[in-house]
Amino acid sequence: MDIQHIRNFSIIAHIDHGKSTLADRMLELTGAVQQRDMKAQLLDDMELERERGITIKAHAVTVYHEKDGERYQMNLIDTPGHVDFNYEVEKSMQACEGAILLVDAAQGVEAQTVANAFLAIEADLTILPVLNKVDLVHSRPDEVAEEIETSLAIEATDALHVSAKTGKGVKEVLDRIIERVPPPTGDREAPLRALVFDAVYDEYRGVIVYLRLVDGRLHKRDKVRFVSTGSIFEAIDIGRFQPKMTPCQTLEAGEVGYFVSNIKTLGDVRVGDTMTLASVKNPEMLPGYREPQHMVFADFYPTNPGDYEDMRDALETMALTDSSLTFEPVTSDALGFGYRCGFLGLLHMEIIQQRLEREHDMDMIQTAPSVTYQVKMKTGEEIWVHSPGNLPSPDKYDELREPIARVSMLMPAEFIGPVMQITTDHRGVFVRQEHLSATRVQLVYDIPLAEIMYDFYDKLKSATRGFGTLNYDIGDYKADNLVKLNILVNGKEVDALSSIVHHSRADARGRAVLKKLRKEIPRHMFEVRLQAAIGSKILARENIAALRKDVTAKCYGGDITRKRKLLEKQKAGKRRMRQVGNVDIPQKAFLAVLGGDEK
Amino acid sequence: MAGHAELSIESLPSAPAGTPLYVHLPFCVFKCHYCDFYSIPAEGQDIPGFLATLEQEIAARAPQSPTTVFFGGGTPSLLSIEQWQRLMAVLEEHTGFRSSAQEITVECNPESLDENKARALLDLGVTRLSIGLQSLRAQTLQQFGRVHSANEALEAFRAARRAGCRSINLDVIFANPGQTAAQWRVDLERILEEGPDHLAAYNLTFEEATPFLRWLEQGKLQALPEELELELAEITRELTTAAGLRPYEISNFARDGHACHHNINYWHNGPYAGLGPSAVSKIGNRRGGSARSLPLYQKRMAQRGHALDWSETLDAQARLAETWWLGLRLTEGLSAREARERAGFQDPTDPAVPVAERLVQAGWLQRAGERFQLTTKGLPLADAIASEFFSTLVPEGTANPT
Ligand SMILES: Nc1nc2c(ncn2[C@@H]2O[C@H](COP(=O)(O)OP(=O)(O)OP(=O)(O)O)[C@@H](O)[C@H]2O)c(=O)[nH]1
Ligand code: SF4
Ligand SMILES: [Mg+2]
Repeated sequence: MDIQHIRNFSIIAHIDHGKSTLADRMLELTGAVQQRDMKAQLLDDMELERERGITIKAHAVTVYHEKDGERYQMNLIDTPGHVDFNYEVEKSMQACEGAILLVDAAQGVEAQTVANAFLAIEADLTILPVLNKVDLVHSRPDEVAEEIETSLAIEATDALHVSAKTGKGVKEVLDRIIERVPPPTGDREAPLRALVFDAVYDEYRGVIVYLRLVDGRLHKRDKVRFVSTGSIFEAIDIGRFQPKMTPCQTLEAGEVGYFVSNIKTLGDVRVGDTMTLASVKNPEMLPGYREPQHMVFADFYPTNPGDYEDMRDALETMALTDSSLTFEPVTSDALGFGYRCGFLGLLHMEIIQQRLEREHDMDMIQTAPSVTYQVKMKTGEEIWVHSPGNLPSPDKYDELREPIARVSMLMPAEFIGPVMQITTDHRGVFVRQEHLSATRVQLVYDIPLAEIMYDFYDKLKSATRGFGTLNYDIGDYKADNLVKLNILVNGKEVDALSSIVHHSRADARGRAVLKKLRKEIPRHMFEVRLQAAIGSKILARENIAALRKDVTAKCYGGDITRKRKLLEKQKAGKRRMRQVGNVDIPQKAFLAVLGGDEK
Repeated sequence: MAGHAELSIESLPSAPAGTPLYVHLPFCVFKCHYCDFYSIPAEGQDIPGFLATLEQEIAARAPQSPTTVFFGGGTPSLLSIEQWQRLMAVLEEHTGFRSSAQEITVECNPESLDENKARALLDLGVTRLSIGLQSLRAQTLQQFGRVHSANEALEAFRAARRAGCRSINLDVIFANPGQTAAQWRVDLERILEEGPDHLAAYNLTFEEATPFLRWLEQGKLQALPEELELELAEITRELTTAAGLRPYEISNFARDGHACHHNINYWHNGPYAGLGPSAVSKIGNRRGGSARSLPLYQKRMAQRGHALDWSETLDAQARLAETWWLGLRLTEGLSAREARERAGFQDPTDPAVPVAERLVQAGWLQRAGERFQLTTKGLPLADAIASEFFSTLVPEGTANPT
């Protein structure tokens, strides 16, 4: 395909505005997928994506579309809408020249619409606003077009009206991409340069590398080098996603495709790297990706300490497919050896945890997520603290600073009052207020990240009857009256259960945490004493009474095997528990320190 | 539970001479509501047919010269005197048990034990009768689904005595729904006044697939509060001791010289051979059980000449953990050396000792010379204590079916 007949674009939007459904229609319309193989959100092929009905990973696919008697190769990337997977959107943009900014014509512009549009502007993409779900009776495309113009300064008067559900207007979208999105500009005669924009691990084929060719050509059997890692591989198989992996002999500048070389060492491939021919000396790197900003940290410990190595392998594989995941070894007095992992948000954390359990059969204990704190030590040194357990004692530092998020919330104007109340409860500081249209308002607040991490979004949703959305960026670190809340189990401090809280909340939080722990920790043969404390000051206490009776009445020859299995079953219930001192603490208890019902 | 793979009789070694023998006779008049033994109502069953099959199994598998024989059930006393005579003759022919067994027990229920039956059994060499009395209260007996009255039970006991039985056990159940401490005290005193040589007193448990468990789940029955159950167990120990019956196991109490040898062998984790449906055998490091259904038992016997339905191999660590679990149920307790010997544990470092010592520290076990025993505090926690041995010695579980 000559380069003038190639178009590369991504579909971006707020969550649930219909990106994956629009991709479905495009696959159908272009005949990439037979009718009988069609299913809703076909590109969402990960088990968790289908279960949750959301896109988690960006999906690339090549389709062919005809316009005015000419055939075009269209490489589209369906992206996730949830804020936690923003990094996926950003990565896919570097493989594109254009973006469809899809906006639900009933919901209007929402927080991720704005955030993703700005990413596209920054990446210098041609943006085509498209109004979706016009089949809905309460859709209001004209108003929404106006919202787009006011909030994003993107011309939207001639935005196409489509219904990804019925297929209305989808052909026009493809036509318009051909008209307005410029073809790629690479030089096919120059030496090969390709951007590694994604990768997944396949047990049989090794690493599957996702490429956007910028210059030159890649032939099957070529010897290539990954510039930053320096490793050299042969192109055993190359091809396109149509949407099944379809082999070909050559990929050319401007195209998107895959590369397979039975790569089993995950360290050899890095997303954001540049691929060249092995023969090229001193190749020029393509601009890679910025480091993702981790918002949330949590520690993973294998339930069975012997699985530490397996856990590392699992995390390495996971980090290959999801380059926004980071991890480093960590030790805890209570939990032994594990990994501190950095996530883009809570949903990201939850997804990674579930994928580790399902795809890698890991059985693990996870600590409550925490943000990173900055500590100014008495010595003048500044250190970062990722888990509360590691906070030095207060006499060692001058200042404990927490990350502040600049949060922008979009909502119908009538909800301003309740939303302001919530932000104040969460230590928010007002920054500004803007009207996007007569009825829609944007509120901007500075709120400590730790405060929005847990249930802030849920509260916003319920205060705005589901209409409020938010987006945030991390700004400064600021000092506040923060204290470390320690949890003691039978008099012993358990580092994995401590948290950093605002002084004014410590009492209520301490009591709430103990209540939850009391529910989660099983009875033992001895009394278990729980205490919440700041330093040596005890804020709250709870006791778990000792188990008094656990004995089989009848036990003779015929019963032994069965009774033993019962004993073992009880023990199996302890599998997802860790012993701290001589107390078995189940996984759920470690999450008890998360905020929530403090009333 | 182990799979139902095709097994050959070789998958359990044959029991060496002297191995204690258990024989399961599965028939009862009526199935009690709490019972999870393999037992079936006798009416309409082909008992002679079953006995013929059992005779084949005796011929094939019964050990020579067993040191003890125990006929359990079910209700063994339900067999007629003639059936007993024939069964004992066949058994004698194949094992010579009458000169080798120091103890021969038959389980009985009041409705099928009179003086005649008792005398006939004693004449056949039986040394010990175990009678299911369960409760003295009509209402409780009815709730249990028992088919006899309290008086009939006491009468059966006296009949056994009159027939000349010198070692009699009574089975009783406490902690049934609604029971109070005062009631149990009165009832147990009354039972002990009869002068049994042995008492097996079981805290009621709600077993899987029984009407009792179903009723509990439906809220038709209420289990007693833990505190009360503990108090009832306390009372049991107090009154039996006062009556001269020593607690020698968690639920078993006996006058000197009347502890049940056959059962003690289980708690010593010794070998045993089991015949009849659902019976379990343990020989060497193998354990296996027969089909838990009469038709399947019959079918297997006819097709294969044995009725083995499952079996498992126990490795040294698992054997050691089991030995501690079972051994600690006995008042005498056990020493680390005894445990190793019984388990056939060869490794010079004994992984159970640190566990036992930890439990001594915690106050659940005490030392008496070389031996470890449950303390008063540890007694009602015997299973939790056993779990400590299992989780340390066999963290991955013992199940090793073949
Ligand atoms: N009525 C109507 N519903 C639509 C339309 N397009 C999508 N939907 C529905 O909107 C919901 C979300 O659609 P998706 O395609 O999964 O949305 P998405 O933007 O890919 O969502 P994420 O990937 O999670 O960000 C689904 O229930 C779709 O059926 C449309 O044009 N009309
Ligand atoms: S008599 Fe004994 S074996 Fe028979 S059903 Fe009742 S409790 Fe079970
Ligand atoms: Mg999607």
